[in-house]
Amino acid sequence: MQTNNKVFTFCFKPLVILAAFLLLRPVSLYSQDAAAGQKLFKNNCAACHTLTDAKLVGPGLKDVASKVPQPAEEWLIKWIKNSQALVKSGDSYAVKIFEEYNKSVMPSQALSDDEIKSILAYIANPEAVGGGAAKPKEAAKPADSTAPAASNPNTTLYFLLGLIILFLILIGVLSGVKKSMQRMVNNQAGLPEPEPVTYNWDYCKHWLRNNKKIVAVVLILLSGYLSKAAWDGMMGIGVYQGYAPEQPIFFSHKIHAGENGISCVYCHSGVEKSKISNVPSANVCMNCHKGIQEGTVTGKTEIAKIYKALDYDPDKQTYGPNPQPIKWVKVHQLPEHAYYNHAQHVTVGKIECQTCHGPVEKMDTLRQFSPLTMGWCVDCHRKTEVKMAGNPYYDKMHEELKKTYGNKPITVSMMGGIECGKCHY
Amino acid sequence: MNNKKYWKSLGELNNNDEFIKQSKNEFTEQLPIGNFLGKESLADTKTPRRDFLKFLGFSVTAASLAACETPVRKTVPYLIKPEEITVGIANWYASTYDDGNDFCNILVKTREGRPIKIEGNKLSSFSGGGTNARVQASVLSLYDNERLQGPLKDGKATDWKQIDSDLIAKLEAANAAGNGIRILSSTITSPSLNALIAEFTAKYPTTKLVTYDAISYAGIRKANQKTFGAAVIPTYNFSNANVIVSFGADFLGNWVSPIQFARQYGKSRKLSKDKKEMSKHFQFESILSLSGANADVRVGVKPSQIGAGVVNLYNAIATKAGAATLSAGKVPFDKSIAKAADALWANQGKSIVICGSNDSHIQTVVNGINYLLHNYDKTIDIVNHLNLGKGDDAEFSTLIDEMKGGKVGVLMMHNCNPVYTSPKALEFEAALAKVGTSVSFNISKDETADKCKYVCPNHHYLESWGDASPQVNSFALIQPTIYPLFNTRAIGESLLAWMKGSGNYQDYIKSVWQKSMFTMQNTEPFFENFWEKCLHDGIFETSPRLAEPLAWSYDLTADAADVANEKGSELEITFYQKMGIGNGNQANNPWLQEMPDPISKTTWDNYITMSPKEMERRGYNIIHEKEEKMSTVNLTVNGVTFQNVPVFPQPGQPEGTIGLALGYGRTKAGKVANNIGVNAYSYMGKNADGLLSYYATKVSIADSAEKYMIVTTQTHQTLMGRNMVKETTFSEYLKDPKAGNETVMLSLANGHEHKKVPAHTVDLWATEDKPGFARPGLQWSMGIDLNVCIGCGNCVVACQSENNVAVVGKDEVRMNREMHWIRIDRYYSSSMTKEKGELENKGIIETYHEMEVPEENPQVVFQPLMCMHCNHAPCETVCPVIATTHSNEGLNHMTYNRCVGTKYCANNCPYKVRRFNWFKYFENKQFDFNMNNDLGKMVLNPDVTVRSRGVMEKCSMCIQRIQEGKLTAKKEGREIRDGEFETACAQSCPTNAITFGNIADSNSKVAKMKEDERSYYMLEELGVKPSVFYQVKVRNIEESLS
Repeated sequence: MQTNNKVFTFCFKPLVILAAFLLLRPVSLYSQDAAAGQKLFKNNCAACHTLTDAKLVGPGLKDVASKVPQPAEEWLIKWIKNSQALVKSGDSYAVKIFEEYNKSVMPSQALSDDEIKSILAYIANPEAVGGGAAKPKEAAKPADSTAPAASNPNTTLYFLLGLIILFLILIGVLSGVKKSMQRMVNNQAGLPEPEPVTYNWDYCKHWLRNNKKIVAVVLILLSGYLSKAAWDGMMGIGVYQGYAPEQPIFFSHKIHAGENGISCVYCHSGVEKSKISNVPSANVCMNCHKGIQEGTVTGKTEIAKIYKALDYDPDKQTYGPNPQPIKWVKVHQLPEHAYYNHAQHVTVGKIECQTCHGPVEKMDTLRQFSPLTMGWCVDCHRKTEVKMAGNPYYDKMHEELKKTYGNKPITVSMMGGIECGKCHY
Repeated sequence: MNNKKYWKSLGELNNNDEFIKQSKNEFTEQLPIGNFLGKESLADTKTPRRDFLKFLGFSVTAASLAACETPVRKTVPYLIKPEEITVGIANWYASTYDDGNDFCNILVKTREGRPIKIEGNKLSSFSGGGTNARVQASVLSLYDNERLQGPLKDGKATDWKQIDSDLIAKLEAANAAGNGIRILSSTITSPSLNALIAEFTAKYPTTKLVTYDAISYAGIRKANQKTFGAAVIPTYNFSNANVIVSFGADFLGNWVSPIQFARQYGKSRKLSKDKKEMSKHFQFESILSLSGANADVRVGVKPSQIGAGVVNLYNAIATKAGAATLSAGKVPFDKSIAKAADALWANQGKSIVICGSNDSHIQTVVNGINYLLHNYDKTIDIVNHLNLGKGDDAEFSTLIDEMKGGKVGVLMMHNCNPVYTSPKALEFEAALAKVGTSVSFNISKDETADKCKYVCPNHHYLESWGDASPQVNSFALIQPTIYPLFNTRAIGESLLAWMKGSGNYQDYIKSVWQKSMFTMQNTEPFFENFWEKCLHDGIFETSPRLAEPLAWSYDLTADAADVANEKGSELEITFYQKMGIGNGNQANNPWLQEMPDPISKTTWDNYITMSPKEMERRGYNIIHEKEEKMSTVNLTVNGVTFQNVPVFPQPGQPEGTIGLALGYGRTKAGKVANNIGVNAYSYMGKNADGLLSYYATKVSIADSAEKYMIVTTQTHQTLMGRNMVKETTFSEYLKDPKAGNETVMLSLANGHEHKKVPAHTVDLWATEDKPGFARPGLQWSMGIDLNVCIGCGNCVVACQSENNVAVVGKDEVRMNREMHWIRIDRYYSSSMTKEKGELENKGIIETYHEMEVPEENPQVVFQPLMCMHCNHAPCETVCPVIATTHSNEGLNHMTYNRCVGTKYCANNCPYKVRRFNWFKYFENKQFDFNMNNDLGKMVLNPDVTVRSRGVMEKCSMCIQRIQEGKLTAKKEGREIRDGEFETACAQSCPTNAITFGNIADSNSKVAKMKEDERSYYMLEELGVKPSVFYQVKVRNIEESLS
């Protein structure tokens, strides 16, 4: 099966890649300016401006170049760098905008001319760049239809079944050939036709009796297999690896942590201090989503759910009196009798979030990556070396431990990290 | 052949019928199947056993199948998270406990916005970081289901608007008609509330504040008024006193400011290499109080003789001082008085004489003694006096007369419950009916609130703003640690609403502090900074005012004559407070009800204490065992009778006296406290001075046929010749600091010879650690100084609060199933010893029988006992599932999720400190305490597992605090600092008897304490290498102990 898989991989993967490459090509040729501009826009502008006509803190920037005094680029660079200077200079459009937005000052941006130009390029044609990141998936689709995905286990299964059927047919054909050859030989030798063997129960019993060794081996193998299956089944009780429940808000870690590169700690701020890596409160969402009212995938629907929870009116920018807490579904459920501390692992142990949580930045729906069983914990505690260097907490302790372990690297378990009371009390 | 016969009981020896019949049964006693099944209906159920097994099989299968589904659990984060909260990390706020009876500066631990633990505030020089059991338990009172959820009018729920409009009208009408407005309150130490009441009085001029305390100290105030012209309670400094003489004042338990005094007392009793002096404590009292139990010399006296004793002491001192003596009757304990006088005279200016009497005639003589001893301005300070115990009994009596005469238009009652606490003779309840409008500010619908027209529930103190001033030069702030749980309103806000229509009490407090406290200092130039600092510290202290030398011009002759007139009777009763229940205001707190009384070790009950000898004479049952019910009597005092009051034997109680605790017999406190015991307040009367008297001489007892079950947590009262508690005398200690702490020797077989070796060299196991077993230089250890431990029981409740220890109720305690992780064993001395038995040619059985009987006036020792965390623990070796294991930091771990409940460990524990969960105590209607309602569960510590049925549990040495402390140090990249975290029992110990730390760090406090000659391990001969050690108790007496 492995070999077959490899054959498929070998044949089709390059095809897929080639197809994707061909289809992507025109998109990739798009100017680097706008791509850089997208990043700059998100970092500097998105908090107050949208790419559409919608007003946020400041005006929507759709077709901004045609609205401002010409030459637009020159005017906009002046405005972005120091809007107040432009207002004071008496520029009529600048004054008009300033008055229109209740004299709220657009802060001066420390950007170079080139940077502003790339932002403007992005504003002019955001679709092109947006597609740059989002399109490959779609682009690969036509390739999918011509070449089945190599790694799809279902396909492998069908292929195997086909093979088995082929072999059965072959066996049938060959045994038929053998029979007719035998008959031919018999006829030539003048022997009578062999009695047709009847495969009834007596025959089976007879066979079983005469082949005790084979029966025994088969029985042993079968019982071994069943015990293993039962054991695995039992061990799986209460282990929810792969659990990916639907959440009340379609929040994608892929978009936030992956594509936008937001640090995990920005939202899960307790992780470095507390035992709990908190589910962020809705006010943390609002740090960005006060500005970003529309998502790239779900549009306004999911973000609106945050507003509803907070009873926030995005048009008036006011909070109402009826907030409703968001009831997220817990993905990682440690039993109540197990103590686990995030700060210990993240701050002191300097372990990456992904070590236990997997590639969260690639998950649209969050999935439990690790089994979270005690064996899994203990395993890691046995293998992981304690990060003692540079932490004076361990200095004396290390000296003490050297008495027993010499200069061997100290793992968590060597320090008592698999004692019951470290996690259960 | 050996012809010796052994028998296991007298029944077997005599071979009587009963024994033969019983020997045929497998179990000699009826198995407690009824208890096991919980419900009696289960015993006669119609379901046959096979059906039961079928159901069992099915449900097990169903349950395991159901377990395959991922349970959907919701997690609900904050919508807008408060900035100061990090989920999973506790916040601490400084606050103050001031209920009018106890005062303590505290820290409140909150998790995600809910208070879960009270600790002592170590910044305070007043209470010094100590607490008592009632302060510890007050956090549970916050989550009391019986609290009022909003204002009431005529017993029906109403809203504040209605209350305000009604009361403003009533107040104005009463004021206009000249009908008095009265505010009846327990002692208010709050400068802001006092200022507010003064403003209220200005608005409604007929207002008068009457202070009434259930426990009155009016006698002391009156005496100081007479002798020094200041009606105050002075500040005492026991830490500077070499000799303490107390006449019936339980200053360590329940007298004026016990937490403060216990702190000072602890200092005066502490012995170390550098401090080889300790105070000598004389106690003359009737009931065996906590102070009496700790006294070096305790003399049992009748309460009516206290006055005469004081005058006798005065005369003895006056003779030495060359002053005139007073006329006094002879007392039977004059030799002890003479000894006390000698000790006092040798320590002039370094001694204290106090008296618990509420009679100013006696208190003036006490003042005279202290004056002759030059104690004023040294150990007793009149100028920087206490603000506690301001109750004025005379004013209270006047108020009742006014009420009866219909002269009170509006009566507002704050923080007091006079319908319950006032003596029946005063007829407060009848008088209350004649008041125009009655208002209660109490937080629950108690006996008084139930009779009031309006109830305007105050916040619980953990929900409200406030301030306090326990002493002239000490101020404290109360800040809210949780948003009010119910629709309640602070009394300050209610008063402001009725004065001005509305107002913010917090702003009011701030303005008062700006006007007065801010101006008392000059370190902080800006008020906001000053306010922030005070709020952070919880306290503000100014240096004490310097005192002018006191002048004495008072003539004691008349007082002495009054004292001499005091007539005793054949039977006298003393009313006292217990450490748990106190004056009864927190009676509905299950932690306090279940806390064993430090002296009698009883829980959940109120009873008459009586000398065992007298009980025997009267034919009462003095054997107190698990299944033995106590005799009851009908008790009549001052013409009031209660039926069937149980009688409990109390060694140390003089014959002809009985004791009865206050604070019980509540009827409207809530389901925990209602109808437990009798209300001793109703018996009380007035003394010759017209003040409330805490003893009575008009007492009669009539036998009753009823029997009553009293439960205790300790049935063996004496040490029985064992050496769990080691003690010595002070003189012996001075000669040899190792006195009383002889090395325990074991006899080892060496071939045919036996050789004595020190016990610590012998080990149950191999002495060396297993190869490959590394110790990381952390070795948690605890030292307990028995000389400083006063046995108050604070640690028991502190531990209960920290570790989610379940309350099990009276019936379970009867079966030895209390769950406390720390207990305080109390032992009485016995006049019989093994040596004495041999000398007197007594048989060994007879000797042991006599050893079990405490002396008539026994010496008492207290020994706190929790898991010893043996390094070679017997429990660990017998667990079949390895649920209890040892850590390389010296802790004995208990893993609940591994435990299958064989109880082998408990059986093998030499200290008997393990507790088994016979039931699921949470979400179980059989145990309707705090773990069984949503409100009560809010007090649980989220860092500690709530144990379920069928598992063993025990002290973990607060491992959650160790883990947290270690992590903090790791995060900050530094070594652990000694004392930066402590166990719950050690943190709030009022006398600092418990020291916790890393004994592997030779500079730690606990390591240094271990080096002291007094340190010893309990039952060292077992070779289990405990992590907890004790220090020898030293008694400051001349005669040798043996």
